Amino acid sequence: MTMLTEQSPAPEPPSPRRRPLDALRSRITGQEFVLFGVIALLWTTLGLATDTFIDTGTLSNLAYVVAPIALIGIGMTVVIVGGGIDVSVGSAVTVVTVILAKLVRDQGVSFPVAILVAVGVGGLLGLMNGLLISFGRVHAIIITFGTLNVFRFIALRIFDSEQVAGVPDTLGFLGGGQAGETWHIPHAFLLMLVLAAATWWYMRNTAGGRHFYAMGGDRTAARLAGVKVRRREVLAYVLTGVLVGLAAAVIIGSGGLIGQNVGVGLELQVIAAVVIGGTSIMGGRGTVLGTVLGALLVGTVASGVTILHWPSQLTSLFVGVFILIAVGTDVLRERSRRRA
Amino acid sequence: MSAMPAAPGRTGGDEGSRKESLPARALRALVTQRLVLLVTLLVGLLVVMKLLENGGYLVAPYSSDYLAASLIDAVALGMLALAELVVIVSGRGGIDLSVGSMVSLSGMVFGFAIGEWGWPLLPAVLFAVLAGGALGAINGFFVSALGFPPLITTLATYYAYSSIALVINSSSPISTPAIQELTWLTQTVELPLFGQYVPDFPMGLFLFAIPIVVLLWLNVTRGTFGRQLYAIGTNDTAARYAGVPVGSVRFRAYLTSGLICGLVAVVTVSQFASARPDAGTTGNGMALPAITIAVLGGVAITGGVGRVIGVVVATVLVVWLNAGILLSFEGSEGSQYQLLALGGVLIFAAILNGFATRRYGGTS
Repeated sequence: MTMLTEQSPAPEPPSPRRRPLDALRSRITGQEFVLFGVIALLWTTLGLATDTFIDTGTLSNLAYVVAPIALIGIGMTVVIVGGGIDVSVGSAVTVVTVILAKLVRDQGVSFPVAILVAVGVGGLLGLMNGLLISFGRVHAIIITFGTLNVFRFIALRIFDSEQVAGVPDTLGFLGGGQAGETWHIPHAFLLMLVLAAATWWYMRNTAGGRHFYAMGGDRTAARLAGVKVRRREVLAYVLTGVLVGLAAAVIIGSGGLIGQNVGVGLELQVIAAVVIGGTSIMGGRGTVLGTVLGALLVGTVASGVTILHWPSQLTSLFVGVFILIAVGTDVLRERSRRRA
Repeated sequence: MSAMPAAPGRTGGDEGSRKESLPARALRALVTQRLVLLVTLLVGLLVVMKLLENGGYLVAPYSSDYLAASLIDAVALGMLALAELVVIVSGRGGIDLSVGSMVSLSGMVFGFAIGEWGWPLLPAVLFAVLAGGALGAINGFFVSALGFPPLITTLATYYAYSSIALVINSSSPISTPAIQELTWLTQTVELPLFGQYVPDFPMGLFLFAIPIVVLLWLNVTRGTFGRQLYAIGTNDTAARYAGVPVGSVRFRAYLTSGLICGLVAVVTVSQFASARPDAGTTGNGMALPAITIAVLGGVAITGGVGRVIGVVVATVLVVWLNAGILLSFEGSEGSQYQLLALGGVLIFAAILNGFATRRYGGTS
């Protein structure tokens, strides 16, 4: 937490000769190195063990599946770093998805309008969470447990007791089909990468970004130091809501059938990705890059289990084990840091 | 006359803060005492539903028979909410997201024991409870011995247990005749002696819910474990200096949660007449409603605060509210409004709680 101000002139490192790796090392945490290694290991193993994993079809599908989880994970990282949590994202995705699906099918709205609506509705749901949490002064997990139910109610009312069938491919540009990729890279994945990079830079290098870390570390101290805690908090939930909107657009993608259970349980997958990425659930520590890698790891495991023809339910078991390992290393690091 | 300085105990202006009028005291009790609020809401609910019934707005009468029969939903829900109470009270971010998957997995174990291996009922129940206890012990080990954050630990075990529950029997339920015969455990029965004067209550209430409520209440309010539990939940460090075995007490909190889940598994298996591998994890799962009811019942998410009786009343409130909502709508709309009611009541209670804490300083 050394970079609390935006323009602090960084003192030159004492070593006169900077090796190229040092620049990288200062920007990337231990957890991210480990995740890189684990993902590389898994890819190599899967590539050697099967002849269908290292394949443009498999990999681009993997990238498409990971995109919505990582997109929401970006916002969730900011929320958790700031000392909060949002368990309502799954239901929020359901709300935005059904609204979008009905708009696209029944009103025939165009792609830009659909994206605007998605971002707007998602942001509104996030704003609701943020205002309730920061002005109701209630623990985030309780409010979002409440809004989880309320959002699901809203979504089911809009569904009106049936699925939305025959959704056209208006949002195909972000979808998983042919229209949604360039050189076999899904646009949704690229969008996620760009937003993740922007947020990563914002969280690292701007005063506003550092304020989230300060808040998550010690809320009272941050407030006394002049951080507008409530405004930051609301901002984090609105950001998450906006990303939920984009994720919903990705999930609809090339259209087809939208079932009522879309988004159910997504919040746990997102939180799993964030935690595997090295973000501390207590707040104050974590990076967006880690979250993206965490989501990629979870996606790789799911894809690997499918390709190896193992029962797909085993994926959850591996996700659980990975969470425990990630938290274990985090707890160990924290202990050694405190001892040092 | 203000010639004399106000004599103490007479007509001083700040006298009101010490001796409140009756309405002010009632308001204070309503917002600071969770139990008073819940009972008021419960009475209000019954009155409103009776009015709706007399006005002919309900699809079926909101009768005492109906209310008694609907209590079967309170058995599993209430027991899990009590499990959450113990875990959340233990503090340091205590929470158990894995209750649903513990129910699924110990339900499968129970299903195997009684349905496939042909065990008698009692050993099978004991086996299921032990299985739940083992799963809870794993949670407790990570949280208390290794110092993992509970939210994440139980999220991980939620995934792991639900996966094992599905894989263990290739995602198919166990529903042999031996299991189908178990429905008597949860069906409604006429009480002996005065049974003709009161409605028929579900058997599960007497076999499972009430014994657990009494046992837990005794344990939490009258036993050493309870005092130590509230101590570590209020202040971990202070409790340690006071000689409380913090790790062991916290471990036992998660163990208790697992044991209760094992018993709930027996209830759900007999209720569905089948051991379903996803019994506790379909939809939003069982953990979310259980946590919601615990918080509604006055359990502070920060630990150290929460009463068994509050959770029991909250369970009854939510179950009868749901039962009333089901009668108010035709078709599946009712189950949707149940979600709105649950979320709305939770947020309302939580914000009221925060308001009361700031206005009156402290809540019970």
